[in-house]
Amino acid sequence: MLRLPKALPRAISRPFCQVSRRRANHTQPHSNSQTTAGRTTHFGFQTVPEESKESLVKNVFDSVASSYDVMNDAMSLGVHRLWKDDYVSQLKPGSRGPMKCIDVAGGTGDIALRILDHARENYADRETTVDVVDINGEMLREGYKRFKKTMYHNTSQIAFHEGNAQALPESQFPSNTYDMYTIAFGIRNCTSIPDVLKEAYRVLKPGGTFACLEFSRVNNPMLSAIYDQYSFSVIPLLGTILAADRASYQYLVESIRRFPSQPDFAKMIQDAGFVTGGMHEGKGGAWTDLWGGIACIHTGVKI
Amino acid sequence: MSRALLLQLALPLVQTHGFTRETLARSVLSLPTPHSKPLSETAVSALFGNGDDARRTLIEAWLDSGRESMKAAPTPAVKDVLGTRLRHNEPVLRHLPEAFALLATSTPPLPPLHLTPALKHAASVADEACRVAGDASTGTAWYARRASLAAVYAAAELHQLTSPHSAYDFLNSLLDKASAVEHAISETELFTRYIARSWAGIINSRGIF
Repeated sequence: MLRLPKALPRAISRPFCQVSRRRANHTQPHSNSQTTAGRTTHFGFQTVPEESKESLVKNVFDSVASSYDVMNDAMSLGVHRLWKDDYVSQLKPGSRGPMKCIDVAGGTGDIALRILDHARENYADRETTVDVVDINGEMLREGYKRFKKTMYHNTSQIAFHEGNAQALPESQFPSNTYDMYTIAFGIRNCTSIPDVLKEAYRVLKPGGTFACLEFSRVNNPMLSAIYDQYSFSVIPLLGTILAADRASYQYLVESIRRFPSQPDFAKMIQDAGFVTGGMHEGKGGAWTDLWGGIACIHTGVKI
Repeated sequence: MSRALLLQLALPLVQTHGFTRETLARSVLSLPTPHSKPLSETAVSALFGNGDDARRTLIEAWLDSGRESMKAAPTPAVKDVLGTRLRHNEPVLRHLPEAFALLATSTPPLPPLHLTPALKHAASVADEACRVAGDASTGTAWYARRASLAAVYAAAELHQLTSPHSAYDFLNSLLDKASAVEHAISETELFTRYIARSWAGIINSRGIF
C-alpha cells in the first residue's frame, strides 16, 4: 500500500501524467496484466517490460523508506493500523505454542512487531520468531531501526533478510520451514503473483498458513463511488501537498485497481496448491473484507 | 485436496471429540499421508472460520451428511427415510444439544436467540424426505406436506435427545397422527364444499339472485 514512490525515473513518471487524462476509465476492466508473449506486466495502469518492474518498485521504495509510516497514516487516515491489528489478531500467532513466521515485503517491520507483541501479550510466548524479508535494503534498515527501540532487538525472535519474494533462495529459506507466511500490502507490487504464491507454498510446512493483507475491490456501489472519488481526487492531491509528487500517488491507486478481485485472487491461491475456505467472503470463507473490501485478508493452508 | 475433504475426514471424529475446533484440527491426521500433528489454531481459523464459526462450519457439514444419509433408507417410505435420518444422530447424540444451542446462538447485532437455523434444519430434512419418497404434491399440498413432516421430524428429534430408544415409535405415532389429521382436514374440506354447494343450490332455486 502505502509504499509510495517519492521520485520515479523520468521514463515512468511521464506516462503517469498521460494516465491522469484517462481517469474516467479507471473502473473499467483492464486487459490481462501479464502477457507471456511480450513479457510485459503492469506498473499502475502502465504496461512495462516484465524485467523492469522489479527495479522500478525497488527504486520507489528506496526513496520512501524513511517516511513510509507517515505516508501510510496520511493516505489511510490511520486506518491501516486498524487493518493490520485485525489481520494479526485474526491469525492469533502463538496461540498454540511458538510459531516460526516469515513476513515477506515487511521491511519496516510493522507486521512482525504486531506478531511478536500479540504472541507475547496474549500467550506469554517469547519463542515465536519472525523472519522479515524485503527486496529493499532501505526499508529493512528502517525496520531494523524500529526494532532497536523494542525488546526484540538482538534476540533470536527477529531477523531481517534482503530477498525477492518471487525467488527466495533455498539455502536461506529451506522448503517446509515456516508455520506462517504473511505478506501485507506487498504482493501487489510483485511482478508475478503466482511466483510469490509458489514460493510461499514451498517455504511453508504442511499445515502452515498463508495470509495476505492487500487492497481489494469494493463491491458496494455507493461506497465504491465514494472510494473512487477519494482515491482519484483526494489521494493525488495529498501526494502533491505532502510529497510534491502526484505521479507516485497516482501509481498507488492505479496499482490497487489492477490487483485481482477477491474471488480471482482466492482462485490464484488455490491454484498455487493451498486449501482455502469456501469461495465466499466472511465466516469460513476464503477471504475477509475490511471496510467493505477496501482492504481484504486472504488465507490459505498448505495441507 | 480440498476443504470439503477435510470436513469429510473430520466427521467420524465428532463422536469422540464433539463439534469442536479440535475435531477439525485432527482431520489432517486421517489424510492418506497423515500429518504428524493436528492443524494449528491459525490454520483452522483460516480454513473454517474464527472461533465458533469453525464449529458452525463443522455442524453444517454434519447436517449435510445427515441429509445425504437419508438416500440410503431401506425403502423410500417417509417413515423409513426419517428413521434413517434419526439413526444418523445416534453416534453423536450426546454432542447434539450443544451443537443445536450453538447454531441458535447469534452474535451481538442479532437477537440473542434465533430460530432460523432450527427451522431451516427441520425444513430441509422434510424436503429431502419428500424428495426421496417421490412426493408429487403441488400447490398448497406441497407446503402442507413439508410443514407437517418438518413438525413431525423436529418433535421426534427433540424426543430423541432425551429418550433415544423410544424415538422411532414416537416418530411412527406422530406420522400416523399427522396422516390422520391430514385425512380429517381433507374430509372436512370435502364436507364443507358439499354444504357450500347445497346452500348455493337452495339460494339459486329460490331465485334470490
